[in-house]
Amino acid sequence: MSIEEGAKYVAAAYAVILAVVIAYYAVSARRVSALARDVELLKVEVEKREAAGSGD
Amino acid sequence: MVKKLTSAPALFAAAGALLVTGLLLGFLYAPIDASSMGFSQKIFYYHAPIAETALVAFGIAFVSAILYLRDPDPKWDRLSYVSVRLGLLFSLMVMVTGMIWGKAAWDAWWAWEPRLTTFLIVCFLYTAYFVLRQVVEEESRRATYAAVFAIVAFIDVPITFFATRYMPEGLHPVVIKAGDSGMEGSMFLSFMISMAGMTLLLVALLRADVAAARLKDEIDDLKTRIGG
Amino acid sequence: MGGRQFMAILRKDVIRELRMREMLVSMFLFVMLALVIFHYAFGVDEDTDLTSFTGGMLWVTFIFAALLGLNRSFAQEKDEQCLDGLLLCPVDRVTIFFAKMTGNLVFLLIIQAVSVPLFTLFFIERSYAADLGLFLLVLLLADLGICTIGTLLATISMNTRARDLLLPIVFLPLIVPVLIAATSATTAIFADGADLGGLAATLGFLAVFDAIFMVAAYGTYDFAIGE
Repeated sequence: MSIEEGAKYVAAAYAVILAVVIAYYAVSARRVSALARDVELLKVEVEKREAAGSGD
Repeated sequence: MVKKLTSAPALFAAAGALLVTGLLLGFLYAPIDASSMGFSQKIFYYHAPIAETALVAFGIAFVSAILYLRDPDPKWDRLSYVSVRLGLLFSLMVMVTGMIWGKAAWDAWWAWEPRLTTFLIVCFLYTAYFVLRQVVEEESRRATYAAVFAIVAFIDVPITFFATRYMPEGLHPVVIKAGDSGMEGSMFLSFMISMAGMTLLLVALLRADVAAARLKDEIDDLKTRIGG
Repeated sequence: MGGRQFMAILRKDVIRELRMREMLVSMFLFVMLALVIFHYAFGVDEDTDLTSFTGGMLWVTFIFAALLGLNRSFAQEKDEQCLDGLLLCPVDRVTIFFAKMTGNLVFLLIIQAVSVPLFTLFFIERSYAADLGLFLLVLLLADLGICTIGTLLATISMNTRARDLLLPIVFLPLIVPVLIAATSATTAIFADGADLGGLAATLGFLAVFDAIFMVAAYGTYDFAIGE
C-alpha cells in the first residue's frame, strides 16, 4: 500500500477519534448547563414552598 | 492553586496538549514502520492508548463497585456508572480504529484476532451492564446489582483476552505486534506521551460526567421534595 | 451446620425436579431438536465432514440448554415465593449459592448424560472411548463454570423486570472463555484423540476460571440475593 493510501486510512482513524471526542464533549457540556439551570430553578421553587409551608 | 490545576478545563487543556504533542511526535519524529504495515502503523499512536484507557475506565468502575458494596454511598455508584459509559465509548473507538487499521494493514475490515475479538466481547459485556441497570425497578437494588456485574465483568476481561489469544484452533497467526518487535525510542516516546494524554482525557471526562450525574441526582432529590 | 443446610436445599431442588420433570424434559427436547437442526444446517452435502464442528455444536447447545434450566429453576422459586421463605431462615447466603449451583450442575449433567450418547450416534464416527475420562473432565470443568456464573447472574436477573431476556444478555459474554476452551478441547478429543498432556493447558484454564468465579460469587452473593 502506498503512503498516500495509507495516509487516507490513518487520517480517517484520527478524524473518527476527534469527531467522537468533540461530539461527546459538546453533548456533555450542553447537558450540564441545562441541568445547572434546572437546579437553580428547582432550588428557588423549593425555598418558596418551604417558606410558604412554615409561614402558615 | 491545586484546585485550579485539577479543574476540568485545565485537565482538558493538559490532555489536549499531550495528545497533540504525541500526535506530532508520532508523525514527524518517529519513523515509518519498517514492517508491511508501513504508514498505517501510525494509527497505533492513538489506537493503543485508547484501548488501555478503556481498560483503565473499566478498572475504575471495578474498584468503585467494590467500594459501593462496602459502603452504599451514591457517589460510588455514580463513578461506576460514568466510568463504564466512558469505557464503552472508548471501546467502540478501539473497534472502529482497529477495523480501519485492519483494512489499511491487511486489506480486511475484520479479523478474529485476540485484541479486536476481546474488545468486541467487552462491548457486549458492558452494554449488558446498561441493560441490567435499565430493567431493575428498585433504585436501591439497581446500584447493588450493577456493582456485582461490574466486578464480575472486569474479572472476565483479561480471562477473555487470554482465551482468544491462546486457544482457538486454526486461528491464522495474524497478530498486530506493533509493540513486540521492539519499538524504537522515538516511537516509544510518542506512544507514551499519547498514553498520558489519553488517560488525562479520561480523567477530565470522568470529572465532568460525574459532576453532571451529581447534578442530575440533586434534581431528582429536589423534585421529590417538591412533589412529596 | 452449613453442610446440613446445603444438603437440605439441594435435596429439595433435585427431588422436586425429578418428580415434576418439567425442566429436565424441556432441556432434553431442546438439545435433541438442536442436534437435528444442526444436521440440516451444516450437513447439506452428503459427505460433509462435520468433525471439526462437533465441539462447537455440542457446547453451544449445552449453553443454551443451561440458560433454559437456569431461567426455569429461579422463576419457579420466585413465583412460588420459596426464596423469600428461604431467606427468612438463618441460612448463610453463600450456602444457598452453593446448593443452587450444585442443583443446576446436577440437572445439566443429567441432560448431558442422556444427550451425549445420542450426539455421538448422530455425529461422531471415530470412537473416543479411550479418551472418555478426559472428555468427562472437560465436561465437568466447563459445567462448573457455566453453573457458577449462571447461578450468580440468574439470582440477579430473577429480580428484574425482564428476567428471561436479561439472563442471556449478561450471561453469554461472560461465558465466552469457557465456550472457547471447552470447544477446542472437545473437538480435539472427537477429531484426533488427545492426551492429558496436550489438553493440560486448556483444562488448567477451565479450572482456574472456575476457581476465580467461585471466589467472586462467594464474595458477592450476599449482595446478589439481597436483603
